[in-house]
Amino acid sequence: MNRSAHAIRQMSVKARDSERSDEVLLEAVAHRERRALRALYERHAPWLLLRLSRRCSDTTIVEEVVQDTFVAVWRKPRSYAGTGTVPAWIWGIGIRRLIDQLRHRSATVRRFPFPTRIEPSAEEEVLLGVEYGDLAGALNRLSPELRAVLQATALDGLTMREAGRLLGIPTGTVKTRLMRARAELREALA
Amino acid sequence: MNTRWHADPAAVARYAGGELDEARTYSLEAHLFACGQCRALLSPLMEPEVVARVWSEIEEAVDAPRPAPVERFLRHLGLPDHLSRLLAATPSLRLSWFAAVGAALGFALLAARGDHAGLVVFLAMAPLIPVAGVAAAFGPGIDPTYEIGVAAPVRSFRLLLIRSTAVLAASLVLTGLVALALPRLDWTAVAWLLPAFALTLATLAVSTVAEPVPSAVGVALGWIVAVTLVGQLSGDGVAAFHATGQVLCLGVVAVAGLILTRRSEAFDRRPWS
Repeated sequence: MNRSAHAIRQMSVKARDSERSDEVLLEAVAHRERRALRALYERHAPWLLLRLSRRCSDTTIVEEVVQDTFVAVWRKPRSYAGTGTVPAWIWGIGIRRLIDQLRHRSATVRRFPFPTRIEPSAEEEVLLGVEYGDLAGALNRLSPELRAVLQATALDGLTMREAGRLLGIPTGTVKTRLMRARAELREALA
Repeated sequence: MNTRWHADPAAVARYAGGELDEARTYSLEAHLFACGQCRALLSPLMEPEVVARVWSEIEEAVDAPRPAPVERFLRHLGLPDHLSRLLAATPSLRLSWFAAVGAALGFALLAARGDHAGLVVFLAMAPLIPVAGVAAAFGPGIDPTYEIGVAAPVRSFRLLLIRSTAVLAASLVLTGLVALALPRLDWTAVAWLLPAFALTLATLAVSTVAEPVPSAVGVALGWIVAVTLVGQLSGDGVAAFHATGQVLCLGVVAVAGLILTRRSEAFDRRPWS
């Protein structure tokens, strides 16, 4: 086989992988198909890396967690129950691995890389108002501590205990901060 | 996924740079779960080296053989990886070894439940289990990592202590559990404990001058002869386990411990190799 024919074949193989759905790729991973894992990785590693690095400032830990996550996908592809989306399942593995990793490290690892508030420009403020009503403004005005708790529970799907472990605070504190966050949002929307 | 709404590519880029405000970050992150089209916008924003590096580490981990059950258990207990591997490579810390020891203890237990002579057999045998374990834990011919260990920049004495402690602990737990099933839960249920320490330390002490296996065999023979003789002379089979015997065992622990600390460098010279 000459080289260009080989290259063309490689390309068509790649194209076929990118057409396969997440579920089909997972099934192929269960049949020990390394290429399917690679395809899943290429599809899901970027957002996972980014999303995790918004929750942990140490890039070494984040990369290790992403690595662990895909090794777990390779070892137990059948643990995907088919209820949520595949990305949500991958996220569930990733965020819990991150919690495990942080538990073994000292508390000096800065868990939140962006504790300062990023102010949207005036123009954006208007647009946000159009897009989400007052909710966006209210969310942005929450203190970083309250936002972190809201993010961990509402957005990341963690239990209060897991959220506490991720943020390095007791479960009771998660509960009270969550209540305060809700109260502030309610007040802002009233 | 048929979503009509799509993220603004400029907002996605700002998200990747950590510059997007919180509310829109929430909105985007929730959307990314459901929309492959918007997820794909992130891929070109990643550093290719990072993506390649993490993938090569995944491949390495996937290609590596799975650690043995004992090793996984030790890691689960929080032991560092290198120590877990070191301990898991110990022949007498393998599941097959535990199975064999369990079977031997089971038979001794059956005998002990039968009559008084059986109890003597159980008490005499129980302290020999860690002795056999320690003898099988190091030394040429048995230890699969022996050749590696000779060349490793680790003190052999340290390695010996780590492995012996693990073997001793595992043996004592196993024997202790079986002893709970003895017919009478009196002092005889723990009478083997001190002799077990004494014989294990004695074996290690003798190993400073001889090979581990012959050392263990010698100590074991001496022990059996002593128990039998004391039993015959006093007319009571378990006489060797009474107070005098226990105090003697304590003496052996002290002397053997002293010899070990004095002659620890003997293991680094590997006198038997």
